[in-house]
Amino acid sequence: MHLIIKNLSKSFDHFLALNDINLEVGSNEFVCLLGPSGCGKTTLLRIIAGLMPFDSGTLSLGGRDLAKVQARERGFGIVFQSYSLFPNMTVAENIGYGLKIRKWPQKDAEAKVRELMELIRLPELAHRYPHQLSGGQQQRVAIARALAVDPAVLLLDEPLSALDARVRAEMRLEIRDVQRRLGIPTIMVTHDQEEALTMADRIVCMNQGVIEQIGTPLELYTRPQTRFVADFVGTSNLLDPDWIRQTLPALSPGIPEDELQFQLSLRPEDLNVVKDDAGTGIVKAITFLGNISRILIDWQGRELIAESHRFPSLAEGDAVTLQVAPEAGSWVRI
Amino acid sequence: MGTHLKTAAIDHATARRMEWEDRLLLSVSLIIPLIGLLLFFLYPVFLIAKRSFIQRDGNFGLSNYTEVFGMSHIPTVITNSLVMSSATTLLCVTLGFAIAYAMQRTTIRGQYLIRIALILPLLAPSLVQALGLIFLLGRNGVVSQYTGWNIQIYGFWGLLISNSMYALPQAVMIIQASLRHSDSRYYDAALMMGASRWRQFIDITLPNAKFGLLSAAFVVFTVTITDFGNAAVIGGNYRVLATEIYSQVVGQMNFNMGAVIGIMLLLPTLVAVYIEKVSSQRQFGGSSESAIPVTREFVPLRDIPLAAVVHSVGLIIFMIVLTVVYASFMRLWPYRMEFTLANYNITLSGGYTPLWTSFIVSFQAAIIGVVALFALVMAQRRLPRRFAKAIYLLAILPVGVPGLVLGLSYVLSFNAPGSMLGMLYGTGLLIALCNFYHFHSQGFLTMVAGIRAVPPALEETVSCMGGGVMNSLRDAILPFMMTTLVAVFFFLFMRSMVTLSAVIFLISPTLSVGAVSVLRLDQAGFTTQAAAFSTCIMVSVLIALGLMKLILFRLSRSRASVAVVS
Repeated sequence: MHLIIKNLSKSFDHFLALNDINLEVGSNEFVCLLGPSGCGKTTLLRIIAGLMPFDSGTLSLGGRDLAKVQARERGFGIVFQSYSLFPNMTVAENIGYGLKIRKWPQKDAEAKVRELMELIRLPELAHRYPHQLSGGQQQRVAIARALAVDPAVLLLDEPLSALDARVRAEMRLEIRDVQRRLGIPTIMVTHDQEEALTMADRIVCMNQGVIEQIGTPLELYTRPQTRFVADFVGTSNLLDPDWIRQTLPALSPGIPEDELQFQLSLRPEDLNVVKDDAGTGIVKAITFLGNISRILIDWQGRELIAESHRFPSLAEGDAVTLQVAPEAGSWVRI
Repeated sequence: MGTHLKTAAIDHATARRMEWEDRLLLSVSLIIPLIGLLLFFLYPVFLIAKRSFIQRDGNFGLSNYTEVFGMSHIPTVITNSLVMSSATTLLCVTLGFAIAYAMQRTTIRGQYLIRIALILPLLAPSLVQALGLIFLLGRNGVVSQYTGWNIQIYGFWGLLISNSMYALPQAVMIIQASLRHSDSRYYDAALMMGASRWRQFIDITLPNAKFGLLSAAFVVFTVTITDFGNAAVIGGNYRVLATEIYSQVVGQMNFNMGAVIGIMLLLPTLVAVYIEKVSSQRQFGGSSESAIPVTREFVPLRDIPLAAVVHSVGLIIFMIVLTVVYASFMRLWPYRMEFTLANYNITLSGGYTPLWTSFIVSFQAAIIGVVALFALVMAQRRLPRRFAKAIYLLAILPVGVPGLVLGLSYVLSFNAPGSMLGMLYGTGLLIALCNFYHFHSQGFLTMVAGIRAVPPALEETVSCMGGGVMNSLRDAILPFMMTTLVAVFFFLFMRSMVTLSAVIFLISPTLSVGAVSVLRLDQAGFTTQAAAFSTCIMVSVLIALGLMKLILFRLSRSRASVAVVS
């Protein structure tokens, strides 16, 4: 079933939290709402869940208007950052909670719970209480609980943010795997670009209540359309057209007509740093990041960030020259 | 997984019906407590204010006020009240800070003794302190008896000591809370910059505790100026506003004068509450979740004198309360110190019936209170912020109204034969309601703090899974609120057991409560019987306290509840 959002807006007092949001989520799709805190992504998720009303626009699922449908009758699954398991219920009771509300016969409910415990690979923890579980286990249980009722849409509100790095990486793959197998349309809120890039079919990048860009992770990274996206997803050198003409003329043929509205987003890996005693650039700092090194270069009065794979044979103060392919970078709207 | 099973949450028609039921439930849980506040708090207080302006001829005017101020003894009474409250405040805040500091920042031994000593005054009606003091230092006290000294304990000094003992535990509690929330990193930073211990105390400890001290000062001032029990027993010729209002109303049936003095008592209390509210919003530094508690140390030069002071105070409180218990078993204090149970054979003013009435009334107050406050807090949480704030303000307003004023306002409102509300007059239920609204604010604030511990996401989870208000009540809210409900129940119960000022106007020849019996026995000269009755009250409240601790302990162990997750 398609979830379709059209011209949706929401304001709190005088603050416009969501401005004219348009979004479609396909039947098997995994969509990430990505943006900094306060961009409206959580508000949008809560509106989709039915936990919050909206002011104008439409929200529909499979052709059914959801505006007047309460959260409790939408039949969506939701998972919060804080796990939010019922502390006084066992793992099995937590997972079976939605089924109990739907008055399933006990036998069917038990079978379903067992099946889900297999799915999250924790079948032996059925009778434990949430406080006896690790963060990662609690979050798996929360996901199983949301999935128990065969939700029409699965909503994930920063589900991995409270977990430590290693568990987080593991669970990205797990969630993605479960979602693919069950084919449930899923919307996940996150502020972590790496999470969005690795998990999503499509990313909705939001800022200050508007959608900046919707696209696949690859599109978003390689072809950002706005300055905000270029800056928020990955690292960018953002360069003015005038400056390009003077200092990196190889790139100047790409300058768009309406040039005052644009900047060039140049990824650090687009810049190839070559040691050259006659070069006009100077290495200001080198930061070793393990698999790569980040090189800060003073290039004709401004600082550029470049990256190189191995540790480069450069030292601070070296004179260098920069090589860049003519088609490198993307022109982004300011 | 059978396809015959419903996986959609619920169908539309059912959802409509459930939504309507939820609305109804929430409306009821909002409206009934609000009607209660209106009927049993706002209306009586409005009436007492109005009454103070009704003149003898039935017209509105200020003549009651001019008349009260025209009485020759009134300026002295007002001055006495102010001097007494100020002196008590000064003493309590100083000692309270010493005790709180000792218990929070030092390794002084025997701190549990002080903790126990500080519980004692909370177990009994306020006049027990005065009673014990009289047994020790009164005309017929042990000290006069064995030394022949003529100590004048009735009046200023006796009242100061009794009032201070009564208010001290509350002062310590508030100041201790403000000391608890400091962060040891402030002290570490000061130390690294070379500040001496004394400088650290002046620059960090005191500013940190400033609002706690201020808050404690206002609480002590309010409690003292409105307390009736101690003043009635040990005040002697030192007359204060609280005793004056009583003699105007009960002695001379002069309700209008009583109303005027009631309004006079209301003003300083309201000012104190307001200042306290404003100042508490500007707490120094603010405590963060990650604060590192300050480590306790032993500094001989500071701690030895401090321990001496703190333990002396604890000892005095112990002695005075224990004297009451001890005296209750003596045949004729202090002349015939023989053990007897005769004092417990109380026949005057209804014998033990008032104690039993106290039980019933306190139980009613606690049940009504817990249900009404829980409903109000539940409903308030789902309201738009503006309304929620208005309800919050209304709910904490009763803290500004002294028990005496509330009690008097109940007489004015409900002593109306023939009306609907008049039917309540003379019933235990009205006393229970009076007690509940007297302690409404503290109970409400505890409830609010309790419901804040309920994770909102848990309630939302219930909604998304198709549950309604009842589901979220049972599965999300109650597990987190159990300890709060128990605490509020016992708070209301224990306070109702010992309060004197609010109920003193509501008793009748056929209906009385325990605290009033103690006063009556004392006034009739049966001091050892008064001591025996006090002991019974203290034991009852102690049992209630023990029961509460037991239940809270059980709850913290059981899976049915959640200790507030740190």
